Amino acid sequence: MRIGVLWNKLAEPKNIPRLFAFSLGIILIIGLIVPLALNPDQLYVRPAPQEQVDEGLAIAPYDRGGVPLKEPGNIDPQYPENAESLGMITGYMSPLAQFVSSISPYFGTSIYSSPGGLIDEILYYTRGFDTILESSILMMAFIIASWLSINYTMNRKNDEDEIKKDVKKAIDDSNKVASQVKANDAKARAKQLRRDN
Amino acid sequence: MDFVTLGGNLLGTIQLGDIVLYLTPFSLFLFAVLLGFTVLIGLSKPETQVEATMHYLNNTEVKVGPKELKQRRFLAVICGIASAGAMITGDLFNFTLFMALVGILNIGIVSAVKQTSVLNSAFNYGLIAMMCSLPLFGGAAIILAATGTLSLAVLSQMPASPMVVFGAVMMLIGILGESGVAPFFASKAEMFRTAGSPYIVIIHLSSLFIIVRAVEILLLVLW
Repeated sequence: MRIGVLWNKLAEPKNIPRLFAFSLGIILIIGLIVPLALNPDQLYVRPAPQEQVDEGLAIAPYDRGGVPLKEPGNIDPQYPENAESLGMITGYMSPLAQFVSSISPYFGTSIYSSPGGLIDEILYYTRGFDTILESSILMMAFIIASWLSINYTMNRKNDEDEIKKDVKKAIDDSNKVASQVKANDAKARAKQLRRDN
Repeated sequence: MDFVTLGGNLLGTIQLGDIVLYLTPFSLFLFAVLLGFTVLIGLSKPETQVEATMHYLNNTEVKVGPKELKQRRFLAVICGIASAGAMITGDLFNFTLFMALVGILNIGIVSAVKQTSVLNSAFNYGLIAMMCSLPLFGGAAIILAATGTLSLAVLSQMPASPMVVFGAVMMLIGILGESGVAPFFASKAEMFRTAGSPYIVIIHLSSLFIIVRAVEILLLVLW
């Protein structure tokens, strides 16, 4: 294939997502042979898998210790000087959470019932700026979608140009269909005639 | 590689918990240029285009209506601010978030257009932007798993392991797709063939600046 043909294919917007998906797939397949291993020295500490479950802790695998407002739990920030009271609310559990964790050993396994403020503290205390950005991405998506649905998608039916264009297109389409039906009809009749003779 | 080698002397930091913004002459310059351009966009009026028809004399004017103008100006200004933020951020994950924000705003700026060819390429770009979230955030997550940190200042002092290189390559392909550089340019290049120039230009400018900053970040992580 000549390179000019290839360039022309690259200039077609329709082909670009496919090309991108293909190259992404290749890189992900290469990733299968790259040695991947978790560095145990993590900033956002986690106990080893199953360690807390084997110990039989009620809120495994999210138990980080600590007494609310008295003793900090086990959380490492990147810059401790910026987060002096980090970990102080990690051990907090609502009365309902305390009750559920006292009767069930599986309380900690569901993320929405994550006891304590671990997720909240990392998200809203040490990485608060990320939270702002995440929600602003969502907000922008909603702004775009709502603007489109109010001003464009819904009003499209009432747009005069659009109606004219649609009517014209419908007429053209029905003409095309009619002529095709006619042609097929003639063809079938000719065939039948030939068979009869 | 160190901050000082790439961006000049460290002038100061803005500390937001674990996310620390770094001010070097290089990043400050990019930041100031983008903010200046954003102000210009906020103040300027959009251009109009004339569409000629072959063999006939009925030229049509492609104009940006007042409602459309407000929406596009708003999104363009936010896009400028978001890319300016990406210039001074000192955190890997924060950078990918800014990148995703810029991506969705780029689609938003052209989404109000009524030309189907533009909308079609915006749709195709949207598909890429959606796919890009996997390599962007996945790359940052792999780098976090390999090194245990997301801060660029700490990452720049660490030697790169094969896993970090893989994470960086993944991030790179995410950035390439999201900012629409070759060979993924077509969908993004077709997107701004429409009226309303200064708002359209921020699409181009934000991806250019983000590419420059991404090169710096990848150098910090890999060397």
